[in-house]
Amino acid sequence: MLMTVYNCSPPHHKHGMDPNGTAFPVQLYIYDLSRGMARQLSPIMLGKQLDGIWHTSIVVYGEEFFFGGVGISSCPPGGTMLGPPDTVVELGNTEVTEEIFMDYLSSLGETTYRGERYRLFEHNCNTFTNEVAQFLTGKKIPSYITDLPSEVLSTPFGQVLRPILDSIHIAPPGGNVINSHNNHS
Amino acid sequence: MAENSGADPAVESKSEENAAAGGTIIMVTVKTPKDKEEIAISEDASVSQFKEEISKRFKAKQDQLVLIFAGKILKDGDTLSQHGIKDGLTVHLVIKTAQKATGGSSTAAPSSSGATQANSGNAGTANPSSASNLGTSQGSGPSPAPSQPANIFTGFGDLSSLAGLGMGSANFMELQQQMQRQLMSNPEMLSQIMENPLVQNMMSNPDLMRQMIMANPQMQQLMERNPEISHMLNNPELMRQTMELARNPAMMQEMMRNQDRALSNLESIPGGYNALRRMYTDIQEPMFSAAREQFGNNPFSALGGNTDGSGAQPSRTENREPLPNPWGPPDTTSSGTGTGTGTTTTSTTSSTTPSVSNPLGVGSSSLGNGIFNSPGMQSLMQQISENPQLMQNMLSAPYMRSMMQSLAQNPEIASQVLLNNPLFAGNPQLQEQMRHQLPVFLQQMQNPEALSVMTNPRAMQALMQIQQGLQTLQTEAPGLMPSLFPGGMPGGIPTGVNVTPENPPPPSSGQGSTPAAGTNPTQQQLMQQMLQMFAGGSASTQTPEVRFQQQLEQLSAMGFINREANLQALIATGGDINAAIERLLGSQPS
Repeated sequence: MLMTVYNCSPPHHKHGMDPNGTAFPVQLYIYDLSRGMARQLSPIMLGKQLDGIWHTSIVVYGEEFFFGGVGISSCPPGGTMLGPPDTVVELGNTEVTEEIFMDYLSSLGETTYRGERYRLFEHNCNTFTNEVAQFLTGKKIPSYITDLPSEVLSTPFGQVLRPILDSIHIAPPGGNVINSHNNHS
Repeated sequence: MAENSGADPAVESKSEENAAAGGTIIMVTVKTPKDKEEIAISEDASVSQFKEEISKRFKAKQDQLVLIFAGKILKDGDTLSQHGIKDGLTVHLVIKTAQKATGGSSTAAPSSSGATQANSGNAGTANPSSASNLGTSQGSGPSPAPSQPANIFTGFGDLSSLAGLGMGSANFMELQQQMQRQLMSNPEMLSQIMENPLVQNMMSNPDLMRQMIMANPQMQQLMERNPEISHMLNNPELMRQTMELARNPAMMQEMMRNQDRALSNLESIPGGYNALRRMYTDIQEPMFSAAREQFGNNPFSALGGNTDGSGAQPSRTENREPLPNPWGPPDTTSSGTGTGTGTTTTSTTSSTTPSVSNPLGVGSSSLGNGIFNSPGMQSLMQQISENPQLMQNMLSAPYMRSMMQSLAQNPEIASQVLLNNPLFAGNPQLQEQMRHQLPVFLQQMQNPEALSVMTNPRAMQALMQIQQGLQTLQTEAPGLMPSLFPGGMPGGIPTGVNVTPENPPPPSSGQGSTPAAGTNPTQQQLMQQMLQMFAGGSASTQTPEVRFQQQLEQLSAMGFINREANLQALIATGGDINAAIERLLGSQPS
């Protein structure tokens, strides 16, 4: 078996061989929906420390994209009613052009990310963000965000509240829905 | 044969087909938005081979496929290993639909420059038809903009300095003028004012703005003469842009620069200079002279004189002189480029030559901090006492009234306006004082009685006397005044006006005791009491009898049976029993 070793091909090379040279920065905006209350109240209510109820969105091409109860939405960065994000994580650069990305989002919005597919615990904004992040950069979003639902559900309180929480659809206003005509169930 | 987890024989047969150079077969997951498939491909395969496989599996044409891995688009010429695609990894696939995606629209364009371009573009395309129209529209577009903010600010500056001075009786025009000068000379003040939420609120209300502008009689005249201006005012789009401009000083400067540059280039077009001159004389001059009448100063004499005297036409090359440094200090000689007067910067007025961006040509003459003690203020007061009409005119201006009303209803906003008034920026004590007096003052401004008193020349004279008396005090006992009146003079003369007719004894006794130069405590109490009068107004305090109830009782217990005299003494001493006793003993014939 030939095992050839290539010198400059780590999976996430940023300065590698880009003949095109076009790179679009990708960022992850993280919001705490509880505005700090989770950090204070979670030890009492849940029995474990949660630093926030995280809502995330992807910012690329100067726009912010997120998934909510109405489907995939976009708005100017920081333009939802949540205001500016609590944390911004740089995910790197992507070569994907906006055109391709919008195609991709359209297909996503017609299938797995229609509005009615929103599930607070299993298929929420962070699920979407994770997927898009991997599409654009190959990286996942920080695990403490994606672990949040399971963290909550592992507490007795979470289990009790689950039926109620399941019916909650988080949809921060201020965005335009992409493919809104496809989001009727 | 398109099975996801193919059985080994299927995989092996595939691998036989795909084995290009005998490399290892790896399973790569290809994920689309809709589904995902596992595709077996040789490790050394090229991307185009990979795409071939994919197109078979996904039933799409090869050139519709866009493969993305780790944020990179896989090109046909690359190999899989080049991108580090190994067994078990996931590659993303987007199948391009036939039509152009709408995502191609550049939503990512930086909005600020786009807005600026849109603004200047719109201002220029107000009348895109002909060149002369272009010149005209360019002139009428942005050039009212400088004087609009000027008008706006005068409306504002007037109000805020009104409220700020707490006198309410300053000379309308001169105050405007001073405010204008200060504004023009100190751009930070401008931005300070602009950041004031009240201002911003007003600016975002185009109807209000239009009302304000139209209420100005000179503006009305101008509008009659030049219907384009009224067009411009009635065009909400343009108004909004202008307000955006005014709100955003950076944008405004940008536009001014563009404007200047465009104008200076226009000059060099054959016939352009004439067009500019025409534009200037048709539009700018009447506007400036209207503004000049309003402001009472004369920065445009240079303009008027030079327009005719500039025989020399500018050379027909582009104007290569650099535009004036927008961030430099306003200097008096070099801001004259790029207007209709062309290269005639030889105007020798003491103030700056007006240019498009600096329509009043105001230099850096500033108001000075001692606004109360300045000779200008003195003359203002004199003018007011001589000319009660002014006050009435000012107060009856429609926007004034509505502004006063809204201010009276929102004391917080009023105090904010007050505090942000750059005239008081350096004097927090004064601000405090003003703030306290503000609500009463505002109410009194609306009180028609107060208005009538203010227009009463004798009352104004009485006020002048009081003021003079206080000034005398200041010189006599300089240590006294600062502690009592941080500003150097009591504000709230109008509040004093209301009270004065009702409490004649204290002022007269105040005037009486001033030359007597009584004990300091007495004077102090007198001052305090006068201040209370000014600040408290008549309605808000209890009657002296109630206030001095306790002292009255004490006095009567001591044997001073003349209640009236006791009361007067107490009032005169502000409730100090000992001093009242001394007074009583001094005045009682015994």
